[in-house]
Amino acid sequence: MTQAASQPVQASGTFEPRIVAFVCTWCTYAGADLAGTSRMTYAPNVRIVKLPCTGRIDPLFVLKAFEGGADAVLVSGCHPGDCHYTSGNFHARRRWALFHRLLAFTGIDERRLFFSWVSAAEGRKFADLINDITEKVREAGPFDASNPARRRPWK
Amino acid sequence: MEMIEALRQDAAKLLADGRAKMVIGYQVRGEHRAPLFAAKADQAQALVYDDACRQNLAAYLRKTEVRRMMPVAVVAGPAVMRSLVLLQSEAQLSAGDVLVLAVGPAAYHGVLDLAGAAALLKEKYANQAPSAELLAEVKRVGAMTADERSAFWAGQFAKCTRCYACRAACPMCYCTRCIVEKNVPQWISTAAAAHGNYAWNIIRAFHLAGRCTLCGACEAACPQGIPLMLLNALLDAEVAEEVGERPGYDPEAKPVIGSWSPDDDNDFVR
Repeated sequence: MTQAASQPVQASGTFEPRIVAFVCTWCTYAGADLAGTSRMTYAPNVRIVKLPCTGRIDPLFVLKAFEGGADAVLVSGCHPGDCHYTSGNFHARRRWALFHRLLAFTGIDERRLFFSWVSAAEGRKFADLINDITEKVREAGPFDASNPARRRPWK
Repeated sequence: MEMIEALRQDAAKLLADGRAKMVIGYQVRGEHRAPLFAAKADQAQALVYDDACRQNLAAYLRKTEVRRMMPVAVVAGPAVMRSLVLLQSEAQLSAGDVLVLAVGPAAYHGVLDLAGAAALLKEKYANQAPSAELLAEVKRVGAMTADERSAFWAGQFAKCTRCYACRAACPMCYCTRCIVEKNVPQWISTAAAAHGNYAWNIIRAFHLAGRCTLCGACEAACPQGIPLMLLNALLDAEVAEEVGERPGYDPEAKPVIGSWSPDDDNDFVR
């Protein structure tokens, strides 16, 4: 992340979004794995952080990602009813409902905040999702260094 | 004025009878209202209650010095009573710990226990929404573009000196070790830079989601004039929409963060 943070714009001059995806190990990570083993290609702009469950996601993780230079954050876990821990994804959904609106209210564009359900069988959905949100973030542009959520380099 | 007299008499009687070891209320200090800790009946004569009483006295109940004096009686308006009910629902208070000298806008409701306070809230002060001015201000900020909002909050949070007066003023911020003081790992930067101020203010607001009663004590305590109530009112509205009711009325209610429903908002899920 640190290395990437110093290179927001690639040498070619085009903006390459950095998307941090917080995914659960049981569904979305397995889905991403399936996309890989099925040789699907998808945008290389996503950095996956695997967690036991989306219920483990503390709002601080999201803040830390934006602080360190993420242009967007994706939270993705099991479909409702499929959680390995029965209800972690429901907890995550309620938390996200409130938290992403608080972030939007304080100046982080809603086009940078994504939440999804991707099951272990949905490799295609994962690849499409990443392609889709990469395009959305590309439209939104780089996460502005003047945003208070962003850590700035020491001068 | 009779209302204040009745309040003073009840407070003095509680202390004289030994039903409360201490009464926490408000006293006049210049233009401000300072907390009054009355342990003797004659001290209760200094009690006042008016619109200038902006502190939430329930915040003192976490202090060991005060806990040693329980049962205590607290002068409490509707927002403070809701804080007390919330503290009880979060197992921070037992039914016998606190008596309430229940006051309201131009009303005195007498001495109540926590169950009586909850009943009074439901009857007279049900589902209290933020003031119209506050809601209008939330709407104004909400209508800005993302860049304008970011600039607005960058200006506000830049003023923050991280004195944590907002935390000290809040009865619901009772963690013995706050996340902002944990430094292995250091989630919230203490450096004199914008991102730590942003993280602190956002996390403070979010840790109070579904627990804030909009008493306004944090904003009143802020020496830098940061409009914290905008964040609180936004979350209050979101919680009211998500759960259908506001916190602090039902001691048996489940916490908003920490419970869920299969029917929760699903519109943002891709």
